[in-house]
Formats: sequence, structure tokens, C-alpha cells
Amino acid sequence: MTDFFQTGLVTTLHRLCKPSLERLEKELSDFSRTRPLALVLPALYSEFEGPAMPGIIQELSKVKYLKEVVVTLDRASPAEFRRVREFMAPLPTDVRIVYNNGKRITEIYETLARNGLDVGQPGKGRSAWLAYGYVLARGQSDVIALHDCDIVNYSRELLARLCYPVVNPSLDYAFCKGYYSRVSSKMHGRVTRLLVTPLVRALQQLVGPHDFLDFLDSFRYPLAGEFCMITELARVNRIPWDWGLEVGSLAEVYRNYSPRRVCQVDIAETYEHKHQALSAGDAGQGLMKMTVDICKSIFRTLASSGVVFSDALFKSLFVSYLRQAEDAIMKYEADAAINGLEFDQHEEAQQVEAFTQAIALAAQAYAESPMGTPLIPNWNRVTSAIPGILDMLKLAVDKDMSESG
Amino acid sequence: MNDFMNLILEPMQEVLLQFGTFMPNLLALLVIFVIGLALAWLCRALLVRLLKVVKFDSWSDRMGFTTLMRKGQLWSSPSQFMGTILFWGLILITLMAGLSALDIRAIDHLVEQFFIYLPRVLSAILVLTIGYVLAGFLSRAVLIAAVNSGLHYAKLIAEAVRILMSLLFLAMAMEQLQVAPDVVLAAFSILFGGIVAALAIAFGIGGIEAAKRVIESELVAKPEEEAKEDVEHI
Repeated sequence: MTDFFQTGLVTTLHRLCKPSLERLEKELSDFSRTRPLALVLPALYSEFEGPAMPGIIQELSKVKYLKEVVVTLDRASPAEFRRVREFMAPLPTDVRIVYNNGKRITEIYETLARNGLDVGQPGKGRSAWLAYGYVLARGQSDVIALHDCDIVNYSRELLARLCYPVVNPSLDYAFCKGYYSRVSSKMHGRVTRLLVTPLVRALQQLVGPHDFLDFLDSFRYPLAGEFCMITELARVNRIPWDWGLEVGSLAEVYRNYSPRRVCQVDIAETYEHKHQALSAGDAGQGLMKMTVDICKSIFRTLASSGVVFSDALFKSLFVSYLRQAEDAIMKYEADAAINGLEFDQHEEAQQVEAFTQAIALAAQAYAESPMGTPLIPNWNRVTSAIPGILDMLKLAVDKDMSESG
Repeated sequence: MNDFMNLILEPMQEVLLQFGTFMPNLLALLVIFVIGLALAWLCRALLVRLLKVVKFDSWSDRMGFTTLMRKGQLWSSPSQFMGTILFWGLILITLMAGLSALDIRAIDHLVEQFFIYLPRVLSAILVLTIGYVLAGFLSRAVLIAAVNSGLHYAKLIAEAVRILMSLLFLAMAMEQLQVAPDVVLAAFSILFGGIVAALAIAFGIGGIEAAKRVIESELVAKPEEEAKEDVEHI
């Protein structure tokens, strides 16, 4: 059981006592009659052959309150696409698969490109964005939930807790982000613990009080990939297609909605998924690529709200970040000690050094190109440019689904 | 014996003679077809390139032509699609021209009929294209106007306008193609007239009370005004 302290600008919904899953699911079933719910699952085919997905499907087959499940599938051959359809068959819900490598969805991407709508490179951001478009095109759901497909210890309670604050009309949150601790025999979540939080706090020191930094600092796990939102948000939000997806999405939520309609919820006691290699020597892949993209996203969001990034500010930022990160290591060392967890101080320090390099690389990239990579346009703009695009998307997915049968 | 041999050889000689006169024609057919195939391929490539240069694909996306293609399960780009239509159209024309080189009366008649009918097909395609664009434009205009006026059934009205316009242009195209023109005309008149009559009756019956109120207010207001005027003149 955790504390019940409220931090920052957004509401925190804790795990207090032992909430009944049955009660939650019953209420969700009632609420979902007036607020139908879609679950978006961005997945690679390899994940269906991994250890996590069979467990997720097994758990989801017990969920009765979902209106539709939209799997947005990447890196799959036609035969693998058909296999995924068979994998998903046990679900009692209407399952639709957006086959990103199929000829019809490829044509949708080409249609967007020739009309000057840059939707970026393949990845979770682009796939999820297209799945939102499909949910909008079907017009059957008022709420969209999304979680990753590599959660090894998945339980349907995670989904229930994630959806509840948005689906419950009395609470009426527009956006809800999940949080959890990522602990096995040691602490994981390096990027959040040792990069994002120390970086945000260093920026708060240098820039002074800033609403977006306060908003970002309010989240216990800003990089969590699990969230739930009203479909209207999917229509107005732009999202990054790179690793800045989570931070960039939070920036858009902050821009479009009041923090009073945003919350975070404790969705799991522990959370176990695949871990990225650090690859400190190569900024083009692994955790380094992720950290550079995240830092760029933070810098660009702050710049767009009027913060001036000079050389002097960046120099001070490196030093300030390093101090914050070192303090964080000390705190987590103590935390690990009291909980009997393994803790390698040297490894953590090496990671902080790598993250400092990543911040420098991101600063350099920002200085060279302040506008950077554009975000994927929101669906309002896309439908304004191509009025029939949602119909086309729906036709493409429906035809893919009927052909595979 | 000689007579018997003649009986066998004469038909064969006749066939050979006919084959000898037919061969150049067949060769001409093949040459025309090969040249036509090459020309069709070239024309398709040129048309696709031209359409890409003038951003035809993008225009089609905005005007709804691409959506129409997708509804018909055509998943190539609009310019490729137009190129394919041109290609097969030219192949058909080439085939007809080649067949006329065979100099067979029945085929000549068929080819003649084809070339007489071809302009009708082209004008029907033109009518359908203009109709589709116009129906889409009017439907969107009605949708915007109806939404701005706060009408609840804006989408329904816009869709009705689109369907009616499509019906009108479809009837015009069928008339161009001379496909059962009397039946098409009668069916269209009955359907279109029926819809208009239904709307007129619906508005008429629905508007009885409103019309009554307007007329009554007019009749009641006039004598008072007249009376007022009389007093002022005196």
C-alpha cells in the first residue's frame, strides 16, 4: 500500500487498501454503455511470439466492458497478419487489426504523404496515431485506452484501473496516465529516475517557475506507455513519432486541456517488460537514441512556450543536471538499501554520464534545428486536407480483415 | 481416280488460297496490335507522369474521387488508375482497328458499331465525372449551410442532395449510352418526381398551421393599418 499524498498539478489516484476488481469491472460495464471504450494495442509481430502477448490475450479474453480492440500491427508479413488474427480470436470483443505493412494501409500513408502530411517513420507513435484515426472513423467509442504489448506480468486489473477515471462520468477526466514501480530484484526505469526527473528539476532551477515543467514533474512515471483518453483528445492532439512520444503527448495534453482534467493512476504493483540496451557509444540506437529524442522534445516544448535556450543556459544545465542526477542516485541507493534491493552505484553513475552526453547531443541538435522533426498532424487537420481519409482508412482495415478470414 | 483426287485436292487448294489471302491480313492485325500495345504503354506512362506533375492524385484525394475508388476496392493511386483506363481503352481501340484489317464482313460491322458508339461512351464518362464533382460540391455546400443554420439533420440533408444529384447524372449518362432510354427516363421521372412530390406534401401538411398563422396575422393587421391611415388623412 502506498501513501495518499497528492503531488503537483495533476490528480494522483493511489492504490489504497485492496480494491475489488469485480466491483471495478462491474462499474466499468455500466459506464461503458454510455461511454463505449476502445483498447488500442500497438504491437510488433515478434511480440505475439514472445512471452508477454499470450498472457495479455488470456487476460483480455475475460474483459467484457470493451466495445472494440484495435491492434495496430507492425513488421508483419501477410501470413503473420493472418496468424495474429487467429491469436486474437479468443477475445469476446470486436477485434480489428490495422495492418501497417499491408498494401492498403501503405496506400493510406502514401495518400497522406502526397498531400503534404508528414506522419514520420514507422514506430509506435505513427501506428498508435493511425489506430486513433481508425477508432474515430468507426465512431463507436468515446474513450480510447492504450497499453504496450510487452508487459510480462499483465493483469486485467491494470486495464480496469487505467480506464476507470476517464470512463466514470462523475470523475470526468479527459486524460489518465498510468504509473507503477518497475522493480524486480533491483530498480529499473533508468530513463525516468536518472534522466527525466533530474532534468526537469534542473530546468526548474534554471528557468524558474514554469507551468509545463511543473506539469511534467507532477507525473510519477512520465514515460509510462499506458494511458486512457477521451476520443476528442485523439482528434486534437498532435503526437511525435519518435521516442519523444510520451513527453510530447503530455505536452499536447497540457496545451489542449486543463490539468484539472488530467490524472495519473497506480495501475500495477510491479511492472515487468523488456529492457533497452544502453548503447552509450551510439546515439543512433537503444537507450541513447531514446534519451536524445526525449531531451529534444522537452527543449522544443519549452522553447515553444517562450523559454530562450542559449549556450550559457545549456552549459549551466549540464552541471545542474549532473548535481540533480547524483542526488537522485544517493536517494535511490538508500531506497534500495531499506527494501533489500540490489543497487550498483557505479552502473548508475555510468548511466548518468551517458545521459549527460545525450543531453549535450540533444542541445546540439536543438541549436542546429530548433524546429526539429514536426509532430504528426492531428486528425482535425488531416480530415480538413483530405475529407475522405477516415472513410478510406476504415475501408482499408475492413477489407484487410475480411480478406484474412 | 483423277476425279476422286480432284474432289479431295480442290477444297484443300481453296483453303490454301483463302489462307494465303488471309495471312497478310492476320499479319497486319498482329503489327497493328503490337504497335498499339507499345503506344498504349507509352501513353499510359506519359499520362501518369503528366497527372503526377499537375498533382491530380492530391486533387482526387480532396474531391473524393480517391474515396470512390477505395469504395470500389481499387487501391492504386488515382493517376495510375487513369493510366490503366487509358491503356485498356487504347488496347480495345487497337484491337478493333486490327480486327477491321482482317476484312471479314461480320467483324467490320462490329467494328463500325463500336466506333459509332465510342463517342457516346466518352460523353457518358464526362457526364458522370462532372456529375460526381458537382454532387460532391453541392453536398458539401449544403452540409456547411445546414450546419451553420443549426439544422439537426444536416448530414442527412447533404447526403440526400448528393444521392439526388448522382441519380440525375446517372440518368443522363444512361441516356447518353442509349441503355433502355425510355425505361431510364420513365424510372427517373417517377423517382425524382415522387421525391419532389413527397417533399412538397410533407412541407405542405407540416406547414398548414404556420401558413394559417401568417395569413391570419396579415388579414388582422391590414384593417387596423388602413383605419389608422384614414384617421391621419382626416
